[in-house]
Amino acid sequence: MSALGELQRMRRGSGGTLGGKRDNKAAFVFLLPWFAGLLFITAGPIVASFLLGFTDYNLIQPPTLNGLDNFVRMLGDARLHNALGVTLIYVVVSVPLQLAAALALALLLDRGLRGLAFYRSAFYLPSLLGSSVAIAVLWRQIFGADGLVNQVLAMFGIEGKGWISDPSTALGTLIVLNVWTFGAPMVIFLAGLRQIPVMYYEAASTDGAGKWTQFRKITIPLLSPIVFFNLVLQIIHAFQAFTQAFVVSGGSGGPSDSTLFYTLYLYQRGFANFDMGYASALAWLLLVIIAAFTAINFWAAKFWVVYDD
Amino acid sequence: MRKIALALVAALMLSACGSGGSAGQELSNEPVTLRFTWWGSDERHKRTQQVMDLFQKKHPNITVKGEFKEWNGYWESLATTVAANDAPDVIQMDELYLSSYAERGALLDLGTMAKFLKTADFDKAALDTGLVNGKQYALPTGLTTYSIVANTDLLDQYGIDLPDDATWSWDDLKRIGGEVSEAGGGKVTGVQSLGFEAGGLNIWVRQHGAALFDEQGDVAAPPEVLASFWTYVKDLAAQGVTPPAAVSVERAGGSLDQSGTATNASVFATWWNTQLSSLTAASGSKLRLLKLPGEAQAKSRGAYYKPSMYWSVSSRSEHPAEAALFVDFLANDPEAANIMLTDRGIPANTKVRESITPKLTEDDKQAVAYMDGVEVGPAPRVTPNGASTVEAIIKRHTEEVLFDRETPEQAAAAFIKELQAEIDGA
Repeated sequence: MSALGELQRMRRGSGGTLGGKRDNKAAFVFLLPWFAGLLFITAGPIVASFLLGFTDYNLIQPPTLNGLDNFVRMLGDARLHNALGVTLIYVVVSVPLQLAAALALALLLDRGLRGLAFYRSAFYLPSLLGSSVAIAVLWRQIFGADGLVNQVLAMFGIEGKGWISDPSTALGTLIVLNVWTFGAPMVIFLAGLRQIPVMYYEAASTDGAGKWTQFRKITIPLLSPIVFFNLVLQIIHAFQAFTQAFVVSGGSGGPSDSTLFYTLYLYQRGFANFDMGYASALAWLLLVIIAAFTAINFWAAKFWVVYDD
Repeated sequence: MRKIALALVAALMLSACGSGGSAGQELSNEPVTLRFTWWGSDERHKRTQQVMDLFQKKHPNITVKGEFKEWNGYWESLATTVAANDAPDVIQMDELYLSSYAERGALLDLGTMAKFLKTADFDKAALDTGLVNGKQYALPTGLTTYSIVANTDLLDQYGIDLPDDATWSWDDLKRIGGEVSEAGGGKVTGVQSLGFEAGGLNIWVRQHGAALFDEQGDVAAPPEVLASFWTYVKDLAAQGVTPPAAVSVERAGGSLDQSGTATNASVFATWWNTQLSSLTAASGSKLRLLKLPGEAQAKSRGAYYKPSMYWSVSSRSEHPAEAALFVDFLANDPEAANIMLTDRGIPANTKVRESITPKLTEDDKQAVAYMDGVEVGPAPRVTPNGASTVEAIIKRHTEEVLFDRETPEQAAAAFIKELQAEIDGA
């Protein structure tokens, strides 16, 4: 919880002043391995991709500068516009559903269930596996024409269809996959719920407030910083989704581009079409989009996130 | 004096351009390590490893290290290694990507290595398929040609006669396919699918007297011909000759073993003739190769010999002579050929083809006989630089048409525009 506490403090603009100088030194020492990795492994490619964004680079011949051509080209790129739409739908639909599922399960588990540790781990597991290739392959099987879903439907006499091979439902299966990985936000919610003092609820029920009122007036406001934290994290995460769509569509983003996530299109341009300059520019556009969403989130937080001391 | 100096500089520059590997014109006596990359199935990996062992036995100072992958992922990984100046010395190349690599200077002109790499036993027409701008950047391993694979067991079961493939038309395929679908009662369809790979569209365009690409490497397929192709594809699906769109999409994304032919779920399907033995093994049914429909009515022959794949050498190889020697071994050595057989297509080397024929299985013999019997037109131009994703574009528009998101006419126009943009952008 200390990380969350830190986040709350940062939000209030008081971060950093609380710790003494000695604390900072220790922090820097602990950060060193991460920082070295950032500098040597991540920072180089970040700088390189920024520069490559202004070039025509086919991977084989040296890059040549082409100014803003790549960015101008984005305006007329129909597949890019489609990819943006697909990704936006994915983010806007799957993240709220995922958080709602996470919160619901967290509330259920918070009621002092016996074997809590087991359930917590069991529900957390999918979020460790969710973006793995194995699960994506499994998803193909489950939602295939002869898959598990259709077999279950057949028991009820309903004729299913190829869920992942029909453009009207393919994205839906990926959204379901993302919702299923609600374990990570759930664990954070669970920790947040434990932080809410029991006396508030006791006082409320003494005053005659029902469960629903308690949830609305106590749980939601006191949990709002954690909802906010999860929201920011999961939106960023969803924008970067790649593996699921890559495996489920066999790398094509199909059928008919219905699962063409932004990152998948970027990958296709860079590695299948030898178009690394444009792909680099696309990567920077994605960064800007994510930054914009995060900024809007932080701005909107003023209206609904409650920081209680 | 100045003139001589200029001439010297010019000569130096020319020689520098001419062959980057002039230092490697002789075989080294020192130990040399070659890296060799290919895509393929487990069977191919096993056989290729045996060939590499054989080569190393004959040339003890040369070590060959294999790097093999599946087709999916092979090209991404090759592009990355070439970009990192870390390309393997010997590269298994495909017709789709040949221009993209050769025109960008990533491949060695094999003509400069004639001393080590003999091509005398190759048919000239076959050799020419490895030319880019008049230079031999690649050597075809084998040839293959488009065909219809028919499941005769299923036809017998339904009491439907095998069509006469010398005269049959696309309408005949649609009609007979429809009869099969009816007899199959939803479990078996007449035709597997069409429009999910480049071969079918290519044949269609060629039969209409056109070509997918012109000699300059621009898109040359007329929009009305493309629209007629997608109309036909749509008709097949609408009339139940091919399975519902979602099933076709799912199968097209699977492996050969999951195809309609391999699972005995369709009677007629387009395949490269050399895939016959794998299909027979997977389906367990009696399969027969038929000539393409529409050839008798066509303006020009649709069928052609396609190089199944090529051998190429990286232009940045530090050991071009040894790499050429290894390619020579792969392409000409009878012992190597006895191990590989038709795994990389029916050998383009005519001597090798003769020498292995007695050792072939019945299916492979049928494939060779088909190849010898089919009448082909001139080979189409190598896929131009930038157009290597043509198959993905065809597939996407087939999906758009099958799911009613585009009319065949819209698909044709969008296809041309998109493909031309890829070529112009390269």
